[in-house]
Amino acid sequence: MKEIVCDRLSKDYKGKNTIRALDSVSLSVSKGEFFGFLGPNGAGKTTLVRILVTLLKASSGYAWIGGYDVDREEEKVREIIGYAGQDSERSAYFRLTVRENLLYFAHALRGIPRGIAKERIEYIASAIGFDSKLDRHFIALSGGEKQTVIVIRAIIHNPEVCFLDEPSKSLDPVTARRVRSFLKDYARENGITICLTTHNMLEVEEVCDRIAFINRGKLAFTGTPIEFKKQAVMKEIIEISTSRLEDSVEYRLLKVHGVSNIVYHNNVTRLYCEDAFNILPEILRVMKEAGFKAPVRIAEPSLEDAFAFFVNGGRE
Amino acid sequence: MESVTSISRIFYMAVWRNLITLTRYKVNLLFSIITSALWASGMLLFSLAFDSSILGRTVGTTNYVAFIVFGVSFQSWQGTALWGASSMLQSELSTGQIDYTFTCPFSRYRYIVSNVAALAIQDSIFFLPTFCVGLWLAITTLTFHGLLLGLLSVILSVAALVQFGVIFAALTLRYRQVTAVFSFFNFIIQMLSGMFIPIQILPALLQIIGFSIPVTFGMDLLRHYVMGTLTIFDPINEWIILLIQLALLSLIAKIVVSYLEVKAKEKGLHYI
Repeated sequence: MKEIVCDRLSKDYKGKNTIRALDSVSLSVSKGEFFGFLGPNGAGKTTLVRILVTLLKASSGYAWIGGYDVDREEEKVREIIGYAGQDSERSAYFRLTVRENLLYFAHALRGIPRGIAKERIEYIASAIGFDSKLDRHFIALSGGEKQTVIVIRAIIHNPEVCFLDEPSKSLDPVTARRVRSFLKDYARENGITICLTTHNMLEVEEVCDRIAFINRGKLAFTGTPIEFKKQAVMKEIIEISTSRLEDSVEYRLLKVHGVSNIVYHNNVTRLYCEDAFNILPEILRVMKEAGFKAPVRIAEPSLEDAFAFFVNGGRE
Repeated sequence: MESVTSISRIFYMAVWRNLITLTRYKVNLLFSIITSALWASGMLLFSLAFDSSILGRTVGTTNYVAFIVFGVSFQSWQGTALWGASSMLQSELSTGQIDYTFTCPFSRYRYIVSNVAALAIQDSIFFLPTFCVGLWLAITTLTFHGLLLGLLSVILSVAALVQFGVIFAALTLRYRQVTAVFSFFNFIIQMLSGMFIPIQILPALLQIIGFSIPVTFGMDLLRHYVMGTLTIFDPINEWIILLIQLALLSLIAKIVVSYLEVKAKEKGLHYI
């Protein structure tokens, strides 16, 4: 069953120079799926999410959530969604405690009876190890803790579909993992569909069943993270543990048959090539002749490689 | 029925939220109440500068002190009613909370009105000391029946002013910087609604402007029932005008908020 359906969604921000933020995006997300929206900054991910959560009106196209039209049945859509936006660190009442904030949002704005709201606050907070922070003022929390409150707020009413816009951006790795693990289990147990935008590839690999890659407003890919890597990285990679090659060595390596590109990234030199196993001896020979010694290995393409591939429009 | 439950729930929780914040900072609360009472005392000095015979001829009382203290008591609500919705939306916009709020399932208009009404309840804490000073000064003409009718007129006129504030909030979001516009309206209300100066002594043109201000008749009725002053029109007519103003302003406020939401959805809340 499809929980989210987008049909040729486009969004233009009109002005002196009209900007097309989203360009005819069509995709669907199944019920209970953990779905990731990937793409570089300004790609249109947040615009898409904001249309789906009824904050923005699409310039053309249609979208449905839980069978409700996001434009014409926005009240129905709002009843079944949860949302944590990007501006989360200040988006609660500073002078109230975490518990008071969550109670206010759950009871006043989501209509959960007070008693149930209190129980749910306790349950979720203890599940992610946040119960000791419940009676602290929101203003006194760290950025990551505030972010955690905002994530709890998004799921406190047990929505059918939850949209999380970069939910782990301020979280430390341990908290991020705990929150991810909780969200994954919580979504499975309650049949909740979760859509998140993220730049965190680890997060994608850990939790996303499927992803959509958006670049310059257009949908470039939908599928599983494994398919994403396979489709993106047609080339294989030989990694040399050096931050930079001498120009002459780089020139000679590029001359090796099968090497198509050399990229310097994170103190590692990456040679994109075809049939890495067979050309490895030739690479080693060129390095030896140049008197250049460094550890060399055939590397597994990562999601970051795939990300870079799609951002560059299909070039490694 | 659901919508009624929803508006009462938001209102109740907003009052709860405001009172928690207010009572948590006790020194600030204490000084707010003291300042409110001091305002009333300050008016005693202010009133010495006025000719009480003019007041007697036009309003039917020479008790200018009570007249002006009731005007001051309205001030504590006027700021909230006029500016409350606007500052609340501005604050939610700057913190990003508006994104979450606007994805929740309730009418925007009801949300704004519930929150401003909750702020008005909070401000009653500052209204009451001044109001009580006014009652004490008008003790010779005060009756229980009069007090009830007076309070009802206050509630209706504040409710009408809240609608005015909602319209103003929409303008704020649309045009961003409207502090000067707010100051202008604030001045108009203070000068032309009979808050400090009896509307009967104003030039005819200014009186017409004064009649269109939501608090004018509310204040006039309050003074009539509590102090026994003469009303501008027949009291029945003033009640009718007050109710019409409330209905009309509510309708306009709803339309303006709907328009605002359409604009916000087209451009994005942060870009309108």
